[in-house]
Amino acid sequence: MDPMTFICVTQFVHGLAYGLLLFLVAAGLSMIFGMMDILNLAHAYIFMLAAYLGYTMTGLLNFWAALLLAPIGVALLGMLIERFMLRKIHPLGHIPELVLTIGIGLILLEFVKWIWGTQSLMLQPPEILSGLLSIGVFRYPVYRVFIIGFSIAVMILMGLLFYKTRFGTIVRAATADAGMVGALGINVPLVYTLFFGFGTWLAGLAGVVVAPFLSVFPGLADQIGFDAFVVVVLGGLGSMSGAFIAAILIGLLNSFGIQFLPTLAPLLTFGLMAVVLSIKPTGLLGERQ
Amino acid sequence: MIFKHRKVLYRVTFVLSVAAVFMLGPLGGTAPGADSSFDPAAMSDMSDFDPNNFQQPEGDTIKLGYLQIMSGAAAGNGELFWPVVTWVAHDINKRGGIMVDGKKKKIEILKGDTQGKPAAARKETERLCLEENVDLLWGTSGSHTAKAIADVAEEYKVPFLNCLSLSDELMNEKNFNRYTFRTLSNTTQWNMALSYYFSKRPETKFSILCQDYMYGHAMADAFKKYLNKYKPEAEIVSEDYHKLWLKDFAPYMTKIMAANPDILYTADWLPDGDNLINQARSMGVNLPIANIYITNPDTLASVGVEGTRNMIFCYSWMSGDTPQTKAQKKLMKEWHEQWKTWEAPYDSLLYIWPDFVVGQTISDTYWLFDVIQRTGTLDPEKIIKVWEDDVYKAIQGVRTMRAADHQAVFDMYVGEATYPTREVYEGAPYSEGYAGVHKVIKIPQKYCTPPVPEGLKDRVE
Repeated sequence: MDPMTFICVTQFVHGLAYGLLLFLVAAGLSMIFGMMDILNLAHAYIFMLAAYLGYTMTGLLNFWAALLLAPIGVALLGMLIERFMLRKIHPLGHIPELVLTIGIGLILLEFVKWIWGTQSLMLQPPEILSGLLSIGVFRYPVYRVFIIGFSIAVMILMGLLFYKTRFGTIVRAATADAGMVGALGINVPLVYTLFFGFGTWLAGLAGVVVAPFLSVFPGLADQIGFDAFVVVVLGGLGSMSGAFIAAILIGLLNSFGIQFLPTLAPLLTFGLMAVVLSIKPTGLLGERQ
Repeated sequence: MIFKHRKVLYRVTFVLSVAAVFMLGPLGGTAPGADSSFDPAAMSDMSDFDPNNFQQPEGDTIKLGYLQIMSGAAAGNGELFWPVVTWVAHDINKRGGIMVDGKKKKIEILKGDTQGKPAAARKETERLCLEENVDLLWGTSGSHTAKAIADVAEEYKVPFLNCLSLSDELMNEKNFNRYTFRTLSNTTQWNMALSYYFSKRPETKFSILCQDYMYGHAMADAFKKYLNKYKPEAEIVSEDYHKLWLKDFAPYMTKIMAANPDILYTADWLPDGDNLINQARSMGVNLPIANIYITNPDTLASVGVEGTRNMIFCYSWMSGDTPQTKAQKKLMKEWHEQWKTWEAPYDSLLYIWPDFVVGQTISDTYWLFDVIQRTGTLDPEKIIKVWEDDVYKAIQGVRTMRAADHQAVFDMYVGEATYPTREVYEGAPYSEGYAGVHKVIKIPQKYCTPPVPEGLKDRVE
């Protein structure tokens, strides 16, 4: 294989891994924002909290236990937030939601600083996910391969949950016409709470998966939250497929941009967003603005 | 006759010696060729020092305004240097304080949160100057915020010790003010030292990866300039600038490996520095990484022995496993023994040794108070007079405060990481589970001293 082909293939895999990681972070945000119409700016902070919980639980137990327990923990927190805070505010529109979720985010930020301090924490992946995987001339970090596989598995799981289960049918119906679903005797507020909890569970999964990839520090939410928001808007509100495509596009633009257009690389994502939104204001696969 | 004169001479010498002992006071004596020295023997018993419970003195005190980032994502900066300023204050306070204006005064520390933003830094500095009436200012991370503090320091005529911001421009003709003194090496000093060091090594191919803003570009430009001067045969095979708080370094690593360098140079600070080394090593990129700020032992321990073995550090203070001076040895031991007793957040590996930036800022803070003691007053004009051209034998090496631009000049240090490291003192290994600085090379001042900015050359006679 000639060097340029080797570089292009490697950059493609980098882009795929990073894009899927972004998708994992953005998936819950896209669901909550797109389907429940809740502007949850605390999502990135819940993700950050999960990364910290993952760090501690890995130390106390192991990575796999952390991957199981930390998302459940933040999902419970998410359900409490929805039940006792957002539910009352939601009918008042986006501005109160915005203020409330920013406030929750700041409280979580202070909380993690209080518990874990302000310094960067590093977590190494478990032994089985460490090292390099060799395929022919390629040597690629096992943990990045895990991110690719895990993100795809989560996407498939979400697809099955929403389109092949009764819960998914109810959720889709409730987010489309809550009054009608309520009239059928279904406890819509409970569905909303569970759905919000599921969204924050996804943030929790992303947080634990990110912990061995990025250093865990109080700026983690800011570091990745904005990119997740771009993925949601670019993909189209509420569209999982759109978020997936947007995340992959951003990942690939990032890696190929760094290789071939290094000075423009940081601008390519925003350029793509500007082009897509000017042609299709609803985003790639979104149906509403 | 000769005998008689000799007797007089002895008496005069005795009287002068006694007078000198009284005049020198608790902070130290004077080394040959220096105006003053840090005296390790005078250091207090620090066994009761705890950064979580610093005892602020009451009454008539010397008020030090501690300006750092204390909120938001970068609040770690404010936390990091709190043990530094409180250590020095605790030590001096236990000795009874410093004689100023005919009275012994202890040091009180008042916090100011810069938030890492110039506007907030200005507001907090004004508050400390106007409401708290601080006598001295101490800070700060980020040249843009240091500039805001320096401006207020000039406005209210309060001496400002800048021991943390390194941009050359801060002390140039445009931004210089008489009240600000910089004790940290600037961009040029750093890169002159590192370039000189590489001129003695066989590697010739370098890749540069820095953060994409003024600091990252300034560091890279200085490195290229002085590498060209000290090692003309060197070649920059790749040069990239990444956005701040980058998530994925993999595309850059692939690009760098394709360029096949011998050394990777980076000036990244945290968290980028941490993520860079962690992701590079996880991808099998085992190049020696020459850097400034990837020194956090927590990060290094996480990366492990193999990942840290071939790192090259450059700093204005470096001890590694071999403290070079008596004062450094004492500080390393006293601090480390106390560290074992500290509680969160100061119980982490980050605080394990007073090395790199921690050691440097401790030393610089002692210098500030040594100047105050010798001045004998808090009158800023008199402090300036004493500090300009001051030659101070610090905990590590001699430091001279250039009168023209208030930039301290000194020897720099480059260290290579290895494993295992030695015990700093019996039973106290420098690093466990990661490679630490073992081989420290001194870069003499003449190879790493930048010229005085043209417009400031004639500022003082």
